[in-house]
Amino acid sequence: MVDLRIENIKRKEAIIFTVNGKEVSAYKGETLLAALIAAGYKKTKRSPIKGNPRGGLCGMGVCFECIVTVNGVPNIRSCMTEVENNMVVKIDE
Amino acid sequence: MNNPTQSQKYDVVIIGSGFSGIVAADILAKHQLNILMLDENMHVGGQLLRKIPEQLGEYASYNPDYVKKLGFRFVQNVKHQKITIMNRACIMGIYPDKKLLLEVERKQVMEINYNYLVFATGARERYLPFTGWTLPGVYSTGMAQVLMKSSGILPAKSMVIGGSGLFLFSVAYEYLKNKGKAVAVLEQTGMMEKIKMVPALAHQFSKVAEGFKYLSRIYLSGVPVKYSTKIVEARGNGCVEEVVTGKVNSDGRLISGSEKIYKADALAVGYGFVPNIEAPQLAGCDLEYAEDKGGWIVRVNDNLETSVKDIYAAGEITGVGGALKSINEGNITAVSILHKMELMAESDYVKNLARLLKERGHHMQFVHFFNSLYRVPAEALNDIPDETVICRCEDITMGDIRKSVAAGYKTPKGLKTATRVTMGNCQGRTCGPVLYDMLGLLTGQPKQSFGLFNTRPPLKPLSVEALAGFVEKD
Ligand SMILES: Cc1cc2nc3c(=O)[nH]c(=O)nc-3n(C[C@H](O)[C@H](O)[C@H](O)COP(=O)(O)OP(=O)(O)OC[C@H]3O[C@@H](n4cnc5c(N)ncnc54)[C@H](O)[C@@H]3O)c2cc1C
Repeated sequence: MVDLRIENIKRKEAIIFTVNGKEVSAYKGETLLAALIAAGYKKTKRSPIKGNPRGGLCGMGVCFECIVTVNGVPNIRSCMTEVENNMVVKIDE
Repeated sequence: MNNPTQSQKYDVVIIGSGFSGIVAADILAKHQLNILMLDENMHVGGQLLRKIPEQLGEYASYNPDYVKKLGFRFVQNVKHQKITIMNRACIMGIYPDKKLLLEVERKQVMEINYNYLVFATGARERYLPFTGWTLPGVYSTGMAQVLMKSSGILPAKSMVIGGSGLFLFSVAYEYLKNKGKAVAVLEQTGMMEKIKMVPALAHQFSKVAEGFKYLSRIYLSGVPVKYSTKIVEARGNGCVEEVVTGKVNSDGRLISGSEKIYKADALAVGYGFVPNIEAPQLAGCDLEYAEDKGGWIVRVNDNLETSVKDIYAAGEITGVGGALKSINEGNITAVSILHKMELMAESDYVKNLARLLKERGHHMQFVHFFNSLYRVPAEALNDIPDETVICRCEDITMGDIRKSVAAGYKTPKGLKTATRVTMGNCQGRTCGPVLYDMLGLLTGQPKQSFGLFNTRPPLKPLSVEALAGFVEKD
């Protein structure tokens, strides 16, 4: 796995969350979208009509392409959400 | 933030906490006004002023450029003043009797009454669809920037950066600085035209200095920078693996045989910015179409008052022009409101406004050049194959759009009825701007004549919790 975290940045505390049951590490203060990308999850959902893979596009709350299920709540924009310890995230397979 | 109850009243409500919003708030708060500044984002500062992970909530040790330094000072100011700040606040409705409905923190619905309303909703990125732009790993340049600046994460190990506009270079700079492997930087418009922009830069020293800084780093890194080169296709198995590019002629059309393939893990694309006019549109403010200002913008007078009394608009939504213009317009709005409330003497008002309007003139000159010279010609849209998805939310293709227009659906409203474009989650914010261009190209009609895709409340999909709470209390 390539490490996408930029060097020499003092980060806040390390946390753990799960994506489709798998444990992923991240840092407080990161957006969920960033934490997903850093962990290698580029795809966040499938398009509703044709089911094609999609991932975050705008990164600022506009496009709704990065929506995931967080702690059981569907359609959460991961770019507008900070990642939290023990968050349970589900993304479309 | 004090604890908001169900219904609140403010002298001034400011929607958006970018440069224009915070500058207006800062000035108004000095006059003991009761101010609410709300933003759907998690942080105060809008597009440009983003915290970086080293100093979350603490900007002091950071040494940004002049403009940003100024901005971060405003952010600190508004946090220390008596201003009610609500983040993660979305507009559910705007009503004629000076009333707003908000959804806050995804759970609470609030009714807000105001005397004056300021829209400072900024801009978002413009897209130009190409085959494969729906693949994961195609990111907007803004997203690439935000990942690096707000979360300290590279978008990918290697990345092609393409589209049009100065922002491409800013993103390439940031990416290189953080040891990303920039494979190429591709500007779709030509280089020679840019020289025409020089006079408009006379009053924009900070922008020129910034440009030099970006370009020198990119050139020194040996990254190829190509002009008149467009993205033809993003390809890969489930996500981006390679990017097909090609040279374009003066109409922005692909010159066949000029294609070139770059291998990369991601593709960052940006085609300039479009004003976020949906909230003012919902409030009934007159809009106008001005290609040289970024597309549909809010119509304002010299006081930046919109066609609706006591509603103002400031920043990118009156013409896309960057941070200095937004600061200037935040100022003008505050001065205008203070004068209307009889909190500023006539002579001070006249003097201040004249100075600010003169400065605004320079910014508007830049707006004109900036938006004209980086504008991809509409003819370029002819290159988009029928199978290419345009409306990502509803999987509607270029072919669907061509067919519908040929069948007589020649307005935004008609196209929406025929195809469902703009009816998905993003409500047309992604494909809407390019659809105006497509309609213009396919019908030959001026865009002002079509009218707009209508907006409907709520402006963004709401959470079930907020709605449930709202219904219970009603
Ligand atoms: C991705 C991106 C990168 C940019 N980078 C640069 C740069 O490097 N240099 C530069 O000079 N300019 C840049 N700009 C332009 C930037 O918009 C201006 O420089 C300036 O910061 C704009 O200030 P503003 O107050 O007009 O809007 P913004 O800073 O865009 O602020 C608008 C705010 O309004 C909020 N908002 C919008 N709609 C609603 C709503 N309905 N409800 C609640 N809140 C809402 C948004 O969340 C946002 O925080 C960039 C723009 C974008 C989109």
